[in-house]
Amino acid sequence: AEGVQPPAATASAKSPAQMIDRDSECTRCHDENETKPILSIYQTAHGNKADARTPSCQSCHGESVKHLASKSDAPDVIFGAKKTVYTPNKAQDQNVACLSCHEKDPKRTHWQGGAHQAADLSCTSCHVVHSAHDKVREKPTQALVCFTCHQDQKAQANKFSHHPIPEGKIACSDCHNSHGSAGPKLLVKNTVTETCYTCHAEKRGPFLWEHQPVTEDCTNCHTPHGSNITPLLKSRPPFMCDECHDGTHNSISPVAGSAAGIQGGLTGAPANPSTSFTGRACMNCHSMVHGSNDPAGALLQR
Amino acid sequence: LSAAADDAAALTRPTNTIEAGSIYSSQNSARFGQYNGLNDGGFYGLGGFDIRGGDGYDQSKNSALRWKLNGSNLGTTSRTVDGSVGDQGKWKVNLGYDELQHNITDSYQTPLQGSVGGNNFTLPTNFGTVNTATGKPGTRFLTPAQASDFQTEKEYVSRKNGSINTSYTFNDQLSAQIDYNHLDQSGAKLIGTGTQGGINLPGGSTGKAEAINMIMNPTSYQTDNVNAALNWKGDKGHLTSGYYGSIFHDDYNSLSWQGAQATGASGCAGSNCYTNNTMSTAPSNSLHQANLTGGYNFTQTTKLAGGFSYGYNTQNSSYAPTLIPQAIGTPYNMMQAGGLPTSSLNGVVETTHGDLKLTNQSIKDLTLTAGFKFNERDNNTSSNTYKYKDLGNAAFTGVNTPYSNSKAQYEASAAYRLTKAQNVTLTYNHENIKRWCNGVVGGAECVASPSTNEDKVDLTYRLKAFEAVNFNAGYSFADRRADAANYLANSGNYANTTVGGQNSNSVLNGGNYAGYVAYPYASRIQNMGKAGVTWQVSQKLDVGVNGRYSYDSYDATLGVQNGRSAGVNVDTTYSYAENSTVSAYWNWQNGQRNLNSGTTGNGTAAYTPNQIVAPLNVWNNQLEDNSNTVGLMTRRGGLLNGKLEVIGDASYALDTTGYSTQVPYSTATACGNSTQLTCGSLSPIKNEIMSLKLTGHYKVHKNGKVALTYMYQKLNSNDYFYYGQQFGTTPNSLMPTNLQMQSYAVNVVALSYNYSF
Repeated sequence: AEGVQPPAATASAKSPAQMIDRDSECTRCHDENETKPILSIYQTAHGNKADARTPSCQSCHGESVKHLASKSDAPDVIFGAKKTVYTPNKAQDQNVACLSCHEKDPKRTHWQGGAHQAADLSCTSCHVVHSAHDKVREKPTQALVCFTCHQDQKAQANKFSHHPIPEGKIACSDCHNSHGSAGPKLLVKNTVTETCYTCHAEKRGPFLWEHQPVTEDCTNCHTPHGSNITPLLKSRPPFMCDECHDGTHNSISPVAGSAAGIQGGLTGAPANPSTSFTGRACMNCHSMVHGSNDPAGALLQR
Repeated sequence: LSAAADDAAALTRPTNTIEAGSIYSSQNSARFGQYNGLNDGGFYGLGGFDIRGGDGYDQSKNSALRWKLNGSNLGTTSRTVDGSVGDQGKWKVNLGYDELQHNITDSYQTPLQGSVGGNNFTLPTNFGTVNTATGKPGTRFLTPAQASDFQTEKEYVSRKNGSINTSYTFNDQLSAQIDYNHLDQSGAKLIGTGTQGGINLPGGSTGKAEAINMIMNPTSYQTDNVNAALNWKGDKGHLTSGYYGSIFHDDYNSLSWQGAQATGASGCAGSNCYTNNTMSTAPSNSLHQANLTGGYNFTQTTKLAGGFSYGYNTQNSSYAPTLIPQAIGTPYNMMQAGGLPTSSLNGVVETTHGDLKLTNQSIKDLTLTAGFKFNERDNNTSSNTYKYKDLGNAAFTGVNTPYSNSKAQYEASAAYRLTKAQNVTLTYNHENIKRWCNGVVGGAECVASPSTNEDKVDLTYRLKAFEAVNFNAGYSFADRRADAANYLANSGNYANTTVGGQNSNSVLNGGNYAGYVAYPYASRIQNMGKAGVTWQVSQKLDVGVNGRYSYDSYDATLGVQNGRSAGVNVDTTYSYAENSTVSAYWNWQNGQRNLNSGTTGNGTAAYTPNQIVAPLNVWNNQLEDNSNTVGLMTRRGGLLNGKLEVIGDASYALDTTGYSTQVPYSTATACGNSTQLTCGSLSPIKNEIMSLKLTGHYKVHKNGKVALTYMYQKLNSNDYFYYGQQFGTTPNSLMPTNLQMQSYAVNVVALSYNYSF
């Protein structure tokens, strides 16, 4: 915000050996004995020196002339959120170093003004740049990083009904672009439905008989991170259906304990639980709630 | 020196690993193995690898070529394998394969015969019909012979995903990428079905209308996704033009089954005793989308970003058959004479998106953002009249209403740094939604809430109180104003002539009572507050606490009245030694919803506002969803001279969902009467999950580790959902499935050897 400039030119025409020499100004001290493995950055894309775009230490941390002269002085750019030996720079200033190379990337087009930028997060809030295995960039471990802040979603992802996020089969980034997006909730697509259809294309239609809320937003009925009611439902039919339907059918009837049928205490001679209230309730018959392509299916029954 | 060189090499060169071993699960459980591949009790292979190489790791060589091969969970149905090779900065190719079996249930029972994944299910010849006439025992009292025809089927969906991702960099400014993904799905999910009425059966009875059979709906799908993009970047801007294609194919267009439920006693025996029924499945469809996105930096502090996309979504899968052969007589024709206008939909939906965002940081400590977004789903599918017979064998005429909607959003925000330690952000958002149907037969309004406008203001404050204490608080207010006047649901029986100038059965307010509004379309006031604090007590101890609360109030006489949501998180981490931490967390979430509805007062369809009558008897239903999760995790490294690392993870979660209904008016029979049970509280849906996982890694030599893991997980599940599906307690016309609650208690032991080189 204050005209912060990139610490150094990022692209380089130097040879790998020259790049290593440039790094050696730092690595002669920050060597294999560092508690945090500094040198493992050479296993990452940022350490592939034959790529002319590969940065040197100074590209991100600045020339750090004072630091080179005296360890008591901090390098120009200290990354991270916690104070260790030195106090980290402001997130915005840390990010300048990264965005000087990564800003002009379609996945980061919406970083400025996006939710995570507005929350003053730095790239290193999620990324461990020196690590050979950056957890947030690997599907099985990515959610662990996101859950450090998104703790409600962590609890929801372990509910009875959930997407296979804890099992590492779906990553947060399959649905969200944490670097910013044009969609709601940082979704990777422009709308909720478009995002869901990338995996659930059978719901896309268009159907002959459409269900209006389904065509607008899957989250009218579903809660994507996890639910106590399978499949990822916000509520259980018939109560969920009652939230939109009244009128002349069974949705006008109070249900209460009769939804639990005979085991719920319903009696009679003979006791006959209602197919409209028990089990799938409305969806015992109106099962094509995502839409029907049957010419005899206007009521979403076929 | 050589040791130091070895240490340095270990850090700068990739470490390859190969893992092999075995994992044992103590119990068959579809729920425990829902996604992890441990579908049944017994032994599984445990295998994985991570191998990387290429001259790009050798700093002495002028090469950026690197490759890697990864595999995990190789011994289960959750296996993943992928490999990539690339000359960094020039090109890259990645091949991937991923498998996932999603278990649904292993307790489903049915007399219907047919394979999982098939689309035709028949009854055994000896099953006979079931008399579901009023007062008769129906499906709750099947004969021993009928009960013996039930067999157990495992329900699951298997997803096999293959992908190839390629990218090529032409120069510093131009690059391209093409990603292709093929998803193959097999298996089935349970679906409810209603049988067709009006079909005569041998022996004199007729098929029971709307009798319920849970059957296996096949998921025999293939989806091909292509994502191609050309990226350009210059000194001040970048632009990406792309194509996204998604082709979905369903091997079936219909699902057929036999129904045994009849309206009276039948002496029928043999294979011709049943009604034959058909319904549709998910239609094959396609989406082609052109995308353009980019950004331009006017200056270092003034930036513009935006995008545009246009999508063309079509569906022209042939309709499910409507002429259904029956046991006796002529085939049952689901359509009335001349009632089928087309043999397929020829559906077309065009989607349009546009967004533009300008950010300015030229004023010290101030960040200004202004943005606009537009999304439209324009359904240009033709509207036609379909005259058919409903499940009750009554003439029914439906008009398809192709739903369209658009959303325009305007946003402006200002983030100001009050001091070095304080930030405040104010955001205003206006949203306008329009809903309509194109060219509906009859021309009547088809949607609830043709227009909605919402204004939202959000205020966030952040304070770095001390060097190690960060505080944040936020409040937002949203006012949604919906045009929710009584609308004419333009679907229903068009067989009659118009009444009151409108089509018969095209009832006002979509057939709902006056004053009833579906919650997504109701006017709403929303208040939300949140606050949190993180405290780095020391370099070893961190503590965080945050909470949120929201209250929604709906402007509707009937329907959802209000909703509440609250949550609290507490977490702390203590790093008591190098590579040794212990952390604990607690999460509480609560949600409530309050609904009003009415039982009588609008007995006939209303065609004009003066005909529609508010209900006389209003009842109330309340939902409460409560969730508590606590967990403790620890990692202890450096044991036994650095050879042993121990990781522990224990958690407990209790989720309950309850419904309570109040009927404050007098009824002929008290609402609590056991023949009705129309008021009071349901036993809550309860899921209690306890989990303990202990893992030890022991370094047996420089390149070898042995990993031993023990996991215990227990689910206590209690859900009334299953009651009405048990043999002996079903509704009169619902064929039992005997689905069981999915509680489990599973012990898992895994032993593996991990070799690194």
